[in-house]
Amino acid sequence: MSDLAVEARQLVKKFPARPGTGDKNPTSSSPLPAGEGRRDEGKKKRWQFWKKEPKVMFTAVDGVDLQIQRGEIFGLLGPNGAGKSTTIRMLCTLLEPTSGTARVNGYDIMKQANEVRRSLGTVLAGERSIYWKLTGRENLEYFAALYHIPPAVAKKRVDELIERMALKDRANELVEKYSTGMRQRVAIAKTLLARPPILLLDEPTLGLDPQAARNLRELIAQLKQEGHTILLTTHYMEEADQLSDRIGIIDAGKVIALDTPEGLKRRINQKEIVRLEVSGWQEHIGEKLRSLSEVENLVVRRQAEADLWEVNMQATNSRTLLPKIVENIGQNGTRLVNMNIVKPSLEDVFIHLTGKALRD
Amino acid sequence: METSLAPRSLGRPGFLSDARAFFAVVRREWTIFTRYPSWIIALFIWPLIFPMMYILTARALSGPDGSGLNIFIQTTGATDYIGYIIVGTTVWMWQNIVLWDVGFSLRDEQMRGTLESNWLSPTWRFSYLLGHTGPQIVSMAMFIGVTALEFGLLFGVRLNGSVWMLALMMLAAIPAVYGLGFAFASLVITVKEANAFVFLVRGLVMIFCGITFPVAILPGWMQSFAKWLPQTYLIHGMRAAAFSNAGITELLPDLIPLLLFGVFWLFVGYFTFLWMERRARKTGAIGQY
Repeated sequence: MSDLAVEARQLVKKFPARPGTGDKNPTSSSPLPAGEGRRDEGKKKRWQFWKKEPKVMFTAVDGVDLQIQRGEIFGLLGPNGAGKSTTIRMLCTLLEPTSGTARVNGYDIMKQANEVRRSLGTVLAGERSIYWKLTGRENLEYFAALYHIPPAVAKKRVDELIERMALKDRANELVEKYSTGMRQRVAIAKTLLARPPILLLDEPTLGLDPQAARNLRELIAQLKQEGHTILLTTHYMEEADQLSDRIGIIDAGKVIALDTPEGLKRRINQKEIVRLEVSGWQEHIGEKLRSLSEVENLVVRRQAEADLWEVNMQATNSRTLLPKIVENIGQNGTRLVNMNIVKPSLEDVFIHLTGKALRD
Repeated sequence: METSLAPRSLGRPGFLSDARAFFAVVRREWTIFTRYPSWIIALFIWPLIFPMMYILTARALSGPDGSGLNIFIQTTGATDYIGYIIVGTTVWMWQNIVLWDVGFSLRDEQMRGTLESNWLSPTWRFSYLLGHTGPQIVSMAMFIGVTALEFGLLFGVRLNGSVWMLALMMLAAIPAVYGLGFAFASLVITVKEANAFVFLVRGLVMIFCGITFPVAILPGWMQSFAKWLPQTYLIHGMRAAAFSNAGITELLPDLIPLLLFGVFWLFVGYFTFLWMERRARKTGAIGQY
């Protein structure tokens, strides 16, 4: 058996764009997961009665290469619309790649789709992936049958997972009465039913409260200890940093960096990260700061709850930069509230690579 | 990197596993169906309401002394005009319910978000559609039973034939009626909205298949068209079985075309499903809602 749990080579996925749309944020009725895609005009033709019109295509995934080792947690980190979900959908056989190949647990995703599905536990739509008019137990029994688990084994496994997911007291209640966190636990339990060697978790903590998200991250770490290989997509850098053995940073459909979290951060170790909190921010100050020779990247994010702006700068020399910051901020009602020189995070790596923030 | 022994999958593929998966879909559908209590109200009201419209129209048109009914009897050969109408409207309702229910079954799952999670399993995907059909057939049988009961009690309609022959006609119609539903379900998931198509199909059945009148009164070209609709044979055969005591020999001219249409529509339904499945893999249609 190959040492690689997942191996993708030059995966490409293009979608036809809907007529009249040109945005990068398709709606829920789009074939793309929210926000994914880049325009790519004139690649295909379609007939409209008598004349040929160029068909606009979106490239959601653009030549992705992945090699995920068995027993590893691999994080695919990128902003909304980067191509994470489309990559996962191709790996779990819901989508056919436009070109390229991939093998999951040694099986070809195109030629051995059933074997691939048997090897995988996949969380895609989270709480929406289960039946709200069934109880938690009924959901698990149903999916156990779909995953071809013999009835006697299924009964034991369902009990075991209900216990493990702390659902025992409410296992016989309709899922519609559950909290979001409980529904997500049922969805995770569903993926674990057949004890698949590989788990694909697409934004598993999205929409969960902090406590539920923390519990889920602990569970993911335990699953790794039990020998599962996990491919995790997220746009939460802390989550990727905390859980992943290796991280692939994906943007505009391409994997632009791939390393361990520490390895990625080392790439910008020679840079200094200056983080400011400013009140009354004005855009022209940003332009002035960007024009300074010490500033390589500058990203501004509003902290609505505190009515402040967070300004992240990657600097080549903070000693000469600091006086210039103080000089530029503090005019026309703008006030410097806080200033720190911090260790680089994965988000800084992302800013360094793309010039934009993860959650832009 | 630390490694540990990869877990061994608990799934055991095989025919029995696929059969269990199919029955799990049937059980799931039935459980969800019974958790919406409004179905009980629909079950008792709909069988009365729809035929009543035609029955009352017939009464009004037959004149104050009902003498016009004799002309109806001469034209149709039916001694019980209410029974005659009920058979036609029941077949119409059956096809209508199948188009809405089976036809929109995958679409409903898609909108709920559960279609993808089903599609991710190694189960034969046509099971989801077939499994949905099981409870639908049971609920339809209940619908027909309630129709017979209500019209028997309220209007004194009595069966003048073999209940087995009647059941045989309906069984023979299942492949054609549900095959169309399967094809329809696959199209709906692709085009997302298909109300116009439902209205078209049920309109065709209403006009061409003679739900309240004999096909013989239609102009020639309409009669020719009616021969291409399985419901024409079903309605004719059911009336003969229920009210003219027709045996298997008399029913064969209706049974044979009905079965042939069944083979055709099952084939069309299955291959439309395969086409949709392939197309959805290319376009991502399964995840769209």
